[in-house]
Order: sequence, then C-alpha cells, then structure tokens
Amino acid sequence: MVVSLSLLATSFCFSQECDLVLEGIVVDLHDNSPVSAAVIKVVDSKKTVFSDVNGIFILENQCSGKINLKISHLNCEDLYSTVNLNKSTSMKFYVEHHIETLKEIVLEESKLKKLSTTAPSYALTELQKDQYSGRGLAKALEQISGVNLLATGNVISKPVIHGMFGSRVGIIYDGVAIENQQWGQDHAPNIDQNAFDEIRLIKGSGVLKYSGDTPGGVVVLESKLPEIKDSLYGKTILNGMSNGRGLNLISSWTKSFQSGKYFKVQGTIKRIGDFSAPDYVLSNTGADENNISFSLGQNKILSHWKTNFSFFSQEIGILRSAHVGNVYDLVLAIESDIPTIINPLSHQIILPKQLNSHYTGSVQYSKRNPSSGKWNAKYSWQRNNRKEYDVRRGEYKNKASIDLTLDTHNFTTNYEWGSFRWSFDSGALIQVQDNFSNPDTGVKRFIPDYIKARLEGYFTTSYTPSNDFSIGFGLRYSYLNNQVKKYYHLNRWREENYEERLGAFVIRDDVSKKLVERRLTFYNFSVSNGVEFKIQPDLKLSFNFFHTQRAPDIAEMFSDGLHHSLASIEYGNPFLKSETTQKYTINFEKESGNFRYNFSPYLIQGQNYIIIEPKGFEYTIRGAFPVWEYRAVNSTIRGFDLDLILQLGERVKLSNNSSWIEGYEKGSETPLISIPPFSTTSQIQFSPFQWKSFFMTLSSKYFSRQNQFPNHNFDISVIENGKRVTKLVDISTPPKGYHLLGLEFHWGPYTFFSDKINVSLIFDNLLDASYRNYLNRLRFYGDEMGRNIMLQIKISH
Amino acid sequence: MIYRNFFTHPQFQWVKHPVINLKFNTMLRNIYITPLIAIFIFLLISSCSKDDPVSIHEEEAITLVTLEVTKVGTSESTKYNFEVEGHDHGEEEDHEEEEEDDHEGEHTEIELEANSSYNVSIYFYNDEDPNNIEDITLEVIEEADEHQVFYEITDELSGFSIVSATNDTDDSSGNPLFIKTTWTTTGEASGDVVGYLFHEPTSKTGNTKADFGGNTDVEIEFEVHIE
Repeated sequence: MVVSLSLLATSFCFSQECDLVLEGIVVDLHDNSPVSAAVIKVVDSKKTVFSDVNGIFILENQCSGKINLKISHLNCEDLYSTVNLNKSTSMKFYVEHHIETLKEIVLEESKLKKLSTTAPSYALTELQKDQYSGRGLAKALEQISGVNLLATGNVISKPVIHGMFGSRVGIIYDGVAIENQQWGQDHAPNIDQNAFDEIRLIKGSGVLKYSGDTPGGVVVLESKLPEIKDSLYGKTILNGMSNGRGLNLISSWTKSFQSGKYFKVQGTIKRIGDFSAPDYVLSNTGADENNISFSLGQNKILSHWKTNFSFFSQEIGILRSAHVGNVYDLVLAIESDIPTIINPLSHQIILPKQLNSHYTGSVQYSKRNPSSGKWNAKYSWQRNNRKEYDVRRGEYKNKASIDLTLDTHNFTTNYEWGSFRWSFDSGALIQVQDNFSNPDTGVKRFIPDYIKARLEGYFTTSYTPSNDFSIGFGLRYSYLNNQVKKYYHLNRWREENYEERLGAFVIRDDVSKKLVERRLTFYNFSVSNGVEFKIQPDLKLSFNFFHTQRAPDIAEMFSDGLHHSLASIEYGNPFLKSETTQKYTINFEKESGNFRYNFSPYLIQGQNYIIIEPKGFEYTIRGAFPVWEYRAVNSTIRGFDLDLILQLGERVKLSNNSSWIEGYEKGSETPLISIPPFSTTSQIQFSPFQWKSFFMTLSSKYFSRQNQFPNHNFDISVIENGKRVTKLVDISTPPKGYHLLGLEFHWGPYTFFSDKINVSLIFDNLLDASYRNYLNRLRFYGDEMGRNIMLQIKISH
Repeated sequence: MIYRNFFTHPQFQWVKHPVINLKFNTMLRNIYITPLIAIFIFLLISSCSKDDPVSIHEEEAITLVTLEVTKVGTSESTKYNFEVEGHDHGEEEDHEEEEEDDHEGEHTEIELEANSSYNVSIYFYNDEDPNNIEDITLEVIEEADEHQVFYEITDELSGFSIVSATNDTDDSSGNPLFIKTTWTTTGEASGDVVGYLFHEPTSKTGNTKADFGGNTDVEIEFEVHIE
C-alpha cells in the first residue's frame, strides 16, 4: 500500500516538468478582434504578462498541471480561466470588450421584442405553458380569452381565434410560418410547443413582420437566447394522466459557453391510450408522439448565427365509430346515444388514424451595427408528411388514403433600425412550396400536386413620442404564383360545365378524367394601423385596424374527396378570388392595482369571405352523399373578450375570462358555421400563508349552447324494419351548453439535490360531466372525455 | 434611453473608423444585393414546372354491382347492373346504355314470377378502367369475416323471402355471407328491396340495417315485381 502510494507520488513528480510554454491570444468575444494590453496574471505565481497589439501573450517556464489565469482589461469584465497544461500549447481567450455600452444590447436581447406596439399581445405564463405541456398547442392557447378549439376527437385540435381557424391563423415558430396543410379542419398543428420558451398571440393580423394573410391571428413561438457564460441548464417535465392512461416526458437542455456558443437539445415522448367519456371508452382515440430538436449557435452580441434541426412525429387514432360508409350510417350514429363501436381500453392505435411528421432545418445569421440597426437573414426548409388511414379492404388495408408531402423552402431577410422614439423594420420573404400527393394510395387525390411560389415584402414602423402615447403602422405586399395540376372526373366536369371556363387548360384527356394545368397568380396587400395612449396613469386605450388580403387556399380551390367522419363529399371552387377582411378592435386595459381588466370589442368585415357549405347531393353506389362546396360571401363577425382580475389581499385572486362572438353572412343573415358559443371561465386562486410554496386553483368553465347556426339538415328516405321512413339527418343542431369544474394544486419549487422541483396535481372535469362540444367535429358519435387526473413533476436543472 | 446612450457614448467613436465604415458599407451592399440574387433565383424557380401527376385508378372502390337472377330449373339468367350515377367510361356509346341504370328516383325493376324460386348471385366490380375490370366479389369472399351482404325487404312484398343458398360462402363462425341467395315468391306483389354490403359489421346477423353496424360499402335499391 505504502509502496504503491509512493510510486504514484514519484510518477507524479516525474511528470511535473516546468519548461512548458502557454501561448495565448486574447480576442474580443463580439467581433474576434485582438485585444491588446490585456493583463494576464498567473494567480498562483503572481507572474504577469501583457498581450501585444495582436492580442498575443506568451507565458514561459510553466509547470504542467492546472494554472489559474486572470485576464483583465480596461472596459472588460475580468476573465478567470483554468488551463490544464500538460504540453506546450496555444489557446484563445475571449473577453467581453466594451461591456458597458453593450450592456443595453444584452439587456434588449434577453427580452423578447414586443410583437406589436399598439395591438395587445397575450403571452402564456410559464405555469400555463407547463400545465398544458402534455396537451398540445391549441389547448394551451385556449386559456386566452377569445381563443377556442376546433377539435376532431380529443387529441386533434386547432386554435380558433375570433371565430377564424385553419389558413386564417398563422403559427410562427422561430420566425417562420409553419406549413403543415393547415387548411384541414382535422389537421392539428404539427409542432411541439415544448421546444420553445415563449408562446404569444395577437388576435388579428397585427404582426405583418411574419404574415399578412392571417386575419384570425398570429401565434408566435420563440426561444430565448442563452446567456453568454459557461453554464448548463435545463428542465424535465413528466406528465401522467388518468384518462387515457397517458404518459408524457419532456426534457430540454442548454449548454452555453463564455465564447457565446450554445447548444440546445429538446425531446418529447408521449404515449396515450384510449380516452374515456364518463360512461364508456372512446375506442381508438389514443396518440403517440416523438419529437426532437437541436440547435447550435453563437451569440457574439454584434453578430449571431444559429442552425436548427427539428423532427416531429405523431400517430393519432380517430374514434373507430366515427368512420361511416354513408349517410344512413351517419343517421344511425346520430340516433345512437353511445358510439356504435366500444372496445375495451387499449393503448394500440388501429384504423382509422393519422400519421404526421414534420422536419425543419434552418440556418440564420444576424449582424448588428451599434450605430444603426440589425440585419437578419434566415433560410429554412420544412417537410411535412400527412398520412390519413381509413378502414379499407384487401390489398389496400394498410395503405393510407391520403398521403401528402409538402416541402417548403423559405428565405427571409430583414433589417431593423430605429432611434429612441422611432423604430423601423423592413424585410422580404421568398418561399417555394412543392406539394406531392402520393398516387400509391389508390384513392383520387384530395389535394392536387402543386408548386407555390411566394414573394413578399413588408415595412413596419412605430413612433413613441412619450410613455403615454404610441402609434404604429405596417404594410405587407404579397405576390403568389400557384401552378396546379389536377385531374377532374368527367361527371364533375360535365355537371359543373367546366369545359367553358377550364377547357383551355386541359393538358391531357384520360379515360374518365381530364388533367388540367393552371397557373394562378394573386397579389395581396395588407395594412395594419394602431394607436395606444394612456387615458389615466394606469388605464390604456388602444385602437387597431387591420386590413388583410388572403389568397384562397389550394384546398378551397381544388379539394376533391370524401370525408368519412361526416359522410360528405367536399369540392373546391376553382374560381375563388382573394378574400379581404377588415378588423377593427378597441382595447381598454387597466394593468395595475388590485382590480385589473382588459375589455376588447371587435368587428370584422369580410368580402369574398370563403366558407364551405352543403350544395346538393351526389348519388353513388354507396348511397346519396351531401356535397359540400366552397363559396365566397360577404360576412360580418363581431364580439368581445373580457378579462377581469381581482386581487383580495395577498392570499386570494379572483379572475374571469369571457368571450362572446357572432358571425353572419351579409344579405341572407345566415349565421356562419363553427362560431364558438358564449363562454365564461372563473377562477379562484388561493395560497395559504403558512405554505408559501403552495397554491390551489378552483375553476369553473361554462359554455352556452350555440343558438346561432346555419341549418344544413336534410332528409333521407330509408327502409327500416320493412317500412319506408324519412329520416332527418341533423348535422347542424348544436349540443346543449355545459359546465366544467377544475381543481389544481401546485407545490414548489423545492430544492431537490442541486435542482428545483415543482409538483402539480390537476383535476379536469372534476364532476365527470357528460357533454358534447359544438366545435368538435366528432360530436355526433360520442361524449367528450370525462374526469382526468393529471400529475405533473417538473424538475429545473 | 437605450439608444440615446448608444450614439453619444464615447466608446463608440470607433464607429467612424475607416475599416469599420468599410465593413458597414459592405453590409449595406449585402442588404441590397442579396435580395436581388434571391429574386433572380425566385423567378428561375417559379418558372420551372412540375411533372404531370400520374392518373390514379381507384381499384378498391366498388363502381358496379350486378345481380344475376336465375329461375330454379332453367338455365336462363338475367343480369341487373347498378352503377354510380353519371359514371362514365369516356365513350359516348357507353353513356347511352347507362340510361337504363339506376338513377336518382328511378329504380331498377326486377320481374319475378309468382310461386317460384330463383337463384340470385351478387357481384361487386370496379370498372373504372373498362379494359381491366376488377372482380371485388373475390376479395369480399376472401375476407368473409369482415363483410356481410344483407337484403332489407319492404312489407309490401309479403310472402317474398330471401335466404342464403346452399352454395353460399360462410364466414369462420358459420354465418352465411348472402353472396348466393335463393329468392322465393308466393302471391303477386310489388315493393322495394335494398341490398347492402357492410364492411366490418359489429354483428353478422340482424333484421334491419341498424342491427349490423359497420360501414356501408354498397347500398342499392330496386323494385321487385311479382306477377
């Protein structure tokens, strides 16, 4: 023992050579320029050298082992660095030069920029974000007043903002709009919100920087820049839920370096089985999700580069009983109080189902000139694949009925500049999109093949002469070129008399169809204006006006196929023109004091507003099917959102969000379809004194019945038990209103080894109420899910 | 106050440095030139063209149903065709023949003699491509457990019955598929019959459509005249 120790000691001594040379170069972190006259001090030996004009210094006669260095320079923060020396070497040291003046930039970059100077933007708090980390983006956004869900079952949901959804709502992630066949009512956004630090939203097209064709609103997902220092941090959230017996694990890690380099990785795994309504299992409603994203970048304050890659994949079961063959099946499903197929709870996803994947790759670079502004350029590529599987026969049994691959290339560049009172932002977007509809499905294409090219430019400015007043203006111009190749079946071609208007575009005649090639161009112009001022020290008033033009979506012009969940045939309208909307909003906001509120009424006028509605029947060998077709109307939507907060002492907080909205087609005064009913959510938040790190929330959500709906019901004649009977196919009448109670307990943060831990216990639909939701497309088949108890453990590393 | 500090701060004298200025000019040039290049690329891309999509034959869909009716004891059979309305083979001659087929409102009439028995076979086809007609009946028989044929008869046809024939196909539980049926007539009557093909029915037996569940793949309606 002694021998071995002494041997170790001698071998250590032998390696202790003291003739090593450390050559160093001191450079400025922000622009890599050499820093001369820096003082380099070896802490243990008190030896001091200076860097020369090239930033170079040499430390001679150093012993092997650890050396502690202190590098100081006028206007720089002292840099302490430990070098492990075992041979002569050269190294680079980054110091933060002119730290004083850059402090403001650092401060500014650490905060996210306001989405709009005059239009109110709503951000989800960390708690709201974490609480919904396992339930999809749309459900997280539903916490904001005026935002509803358009659902297909329990997992698929998309945000509805002021009655608009799909192509009318933009989802911007990392500065780029997500392109994932967002037109479809049963297409949830293919994005993992947990990969982002901030989720914000503007109701209306108030962010012309990102998009001009989303009159409903813009959801912006962003990540904060890591700080410039050596650190490793992250968070892990584990969600377990009783309903669906689901588990969801999210973890994200960030490693940052003194040099400004950083690396981030985030992953999500989700496994959910069949959900249950209070009285039965909703068979085949489970979902699986696997997502991962990486980013690597370097923030040198005056310049910044970043590359990012992310992959999202999702498999979602569709309620088995919602797959119907014809309208008679649909009638029987509506007549039956419970789903026609109920199997024991399972984690296996069978048919029908959806399989979605989304890849994103991007590179971006920004450069800042302290005297003027910041220039930013970004290229991003997205590939979205959507497969929809129906219940099929024979060799097609396990083949998708819809298999769409959408590739999107985006190049954006912008320049931001300004002064104390003025700020400007101008930029351009070039987008090329290629949609491929896989013919191996053996089903006619629901969406045709197309190439879409888009060229857009924007300019926004805001002027804030004082703290009490600001004014904003923006415009965006868009040029869109669609090249579409679509097969028209001859029966449709004749029925609609397409020969007259589309005959010139036929490029091939097939046995029973015609291939048509069309090039469609649209020029759109969008404007936003707003003013915000303080009428009292704590009361803000703002007016905003958005004028938006949106080119009809490819689906609105060219869709062609059968919806198995509604037993309906959908046809696009190839003659649609750009849709124009004007939105006027007023916003009263009291943002401090014990009583706070936000009241915002709005009015939206639409011209050429594109809606889909039934138009006759088509007779097939399966029976008669209602045909739904797109049409342009003039519309009016109006409503208000109201948020109230009352703080009662330190312990109790009362809050309420309410939204009311109505939408009509002008002229006929027919209500618009899928307009959310009046809803109001009240919450009591209570935190007992003795337990500082604990609070609980009791919430009550009330959704009234939607009494304003278009009547699209129709009759069918069938033979039942030997008698010919006429049955009403009631696809319009909204379900009754409902009331849901929720209870939440939140503990933490507590210290857990070197980390922090938060635990939450959440009861959704506490009373296990049976109800159906007007905005759920599968409401004809089964109830919404019953009580759900969720346990969430969050560890912040 | 952020920006004001920025410009007036003595540290920023270096901005006027010639090298920095040069750098700044290069940057400005980039701002203008990059979009020009990009626009050029854009025009190049937007003028390029996509390959013609291949035509899809929906081989799986049933587009033609045939009832082959043979009076027991004879060898003469009559075929009744049921097709998708407006279904087109692209040739005008064909189109005229189709006038006889099942259209909205007008039903195919099947004439039967009183007090007789008939062997009736039902066939499912895909005739989207007239040169390559697919017989889907074979697939239905192959997947007997997942399919069921059902005839629903109106009360007016009293004394008329449809039962599984001896040469019918049974599924793995011994339930006849009703692909081959025997129709028996008694007195004179006329009324409607609906023929269904169910896919993945929840029950293989029943008296009315609702008893079967599953998805309806075929729904054909015809009139039966017994004289």
